[in-house]
Amino acid sequence: MRSRYALRFIALGYLTLLLGVPVVLVFVNAFQDGIGAAWDAVTTPEAQHAFYLTFVMVAVAVPLNTIFGVVAALVIVRQRFRGRALLNAAIDLPFAVSPVVVGLSLLLVYGTRDGWVGNWFAEQGIRIIFSTPGMILATMFVSLPFVVRETIPVLREIGTEQEQAAATLGAGALQTFFRITLPAIRWGVAYGVVLTTARALGEFGAVSIVSGKLSGQTETAPLFVEAEFRRFNETGAYAAAVVLAMIALVTLLAMNLIKPKEAQT
Amino acid sequence: MSIVVDSVSKRFGEFTALDDVSLEVRDGSLTALLGPSGGGKSTLLRVIAGLESPDSGTVSIAGEDATRQPPQRRNVGFVFQHYAAFKHMTVAKNVAFGLTIRKRPKDEIESRVDELLRLVHLDGFAHRYPSQLSGGQRQRMALARALAVQPRVLLLDEPFGALDATVRKELRAWLRRLHEEVHVTTVFVTHDQEEAMEVAEQIVVLNHGKIEQMGSPKELYEQPANEFVMGFIGPISELSGRSVRPHEVDILREPHEGTAEAMIDRIVHLGFEVRVELTLGDGEKTWVQTTKAQAEELELAEGDIVWLRPNAPAGEPVAATLP
Repeated sequence: MRSRYALRFIALGYLTLLLGVPVVLVFVNAFQDGIGAAWDAVTTPEAQHAFYLTFVMVAVAVPLNTIFGVVAALVIVRQRFRGRALLNAAIDLPFAVSPVVVGLSLLLVYGTRDGWVGNWFAEQGIRIIFSTPGMILATMFVSLPFVVRETIPVLREIGTEQEQAAATLGAGALQTFFRITLPAIRWGVAYGVVLTTARALGEFGAVSIVSGKLSGQTETAPLFVEAEFRRFNETGAYAAAVVLAMIALVTLLAMNLIKPKEAQT
Repeated sequence: MSIVVDSVSKRFGEFTALDDVSLEVRDGSLTALLGPSGGGKSTLLRVIAGLESPDSGTVSIAGEDATRQPPQRRNVGFVFQHYAAFKHMTVAKNVAFGLTIRKRPKDEIESRVDELLRLVHLDGFAHRYPSQLSGGQRQRMALARALAVQPRVLLLDEPFGALDATVRKELRAWLRRLHEEVHVTTVFVTHDQEEAMEVAEQIVVLNHGKIEQMGSPKELYEQPANEFVMGFIGPISELSGRSVRPHEVDILREPHEGTAEAMIDRIVHLGFEVRVELTLGDGEKTWVQTTKAQAEELELAEGDIVWLRPNAPAGEPVAATLP
């Protein structure tokens, strides 16, 4: 009995120290000059633009990575071909590689002066580095694995019998996918989407390198937090951090709310 | 509609699942594919459904070559061992699936689903989810779903394999009755000879990817083509190097022409039936099935010496001789 409480104490204590205390302190610091000051700090034009830009990152990266993630999971689980193991391993690359390295490698490919294809894009008048497209690419890169990784196990679990049954009942490949496969894997995909969203909201390292950090132009919310901190505007930094945390929290809650009981059986 | 399978072969890597199999299933019949696991029976069923494509040979359904047709074009009903229920749909939606895909009018779908749910005794379960049904109910739902599209043939892959013994017995009898009502050409796979004998009109015995024998349950039992079929359809015991049915052996108190001496090891009373286990003169073990009345008349007792003689009726040869 005693050991049970000890285990619980360790688990909760660890969480409190590592997660609870820092998050609570962020909240406390955000509101140290009152709610009004915090509100003012996150409604400046720079702050608003930063949140808008972060929203753009999420709005582009999440749908694209979701579609790619489901397709990649289908290929990895259902098909046998040379290089499948390689593809499977490559998907984890963004987990393994430091975001800073991701940012630098994007510079090498898309950099305006000496990037691999950057020159060509520049001639077409398309600016990728130090501009929104590059930041979106960086965000997509780092948030790529989540949907794939969450979808693969559920795809394995459902097997292929339901799909075969649908085929014998006359359903074509697309009908089978949208009516049978997708509904069967939807909670795996949804969880992947939530994690992708959280990562896209919070990405700092890779985006920071390709953004150029122009305040009010190429500054996403996490970059804004850091910039405010450097400007000794602590209230602004913490208040923006709180807003980011709240958005992530709402995303998580939203998924748990729309998830019906039936899905747990 | 009839099914004709013509010299179909199928390999999975090194494993030969079907080796030049030819078979004809008559229109409206109820056929069992029987055999040990790995014998090729499920593969044959899946080839007929289009879920596997044969390496060579052809399959035609209702006189039409279906070999290259995808499953969705063949219009066959397929029932899986583990039901393959669409878990996120209600029972009614599951049954309606094939009709929804075919974009039939709503009221037609509704009345057809009602009719089918009554047929499989699931009326009142329309709005449940598969997870709220028992195994037997799920399998009946899967059957209704397969029948909804009025398939040309109904294929069932070990349909009762995942159910417990009582439900299994019930569903067997029920499948027979259903077949009498609906009369769709039906092929089902089983490894259970009793199930095949009880349900099917025609049995196809498959082993190592080849057809060992095809025929009615009576034919297979009485005139097995070989040792394998004899051993698979019903019990056998061995007597002087021959395989015989255990009830086709007489126990005699005195030696006669063509009898074998044996000692009774054990007598098992199973009610009407009595099993006598013996050791023959050469040390081989065997057993004989007799009745309670006969055992009492002969006053059989453990440790007695008796003489055994096959009593297979003249003209019907005892299947095969052992090598």
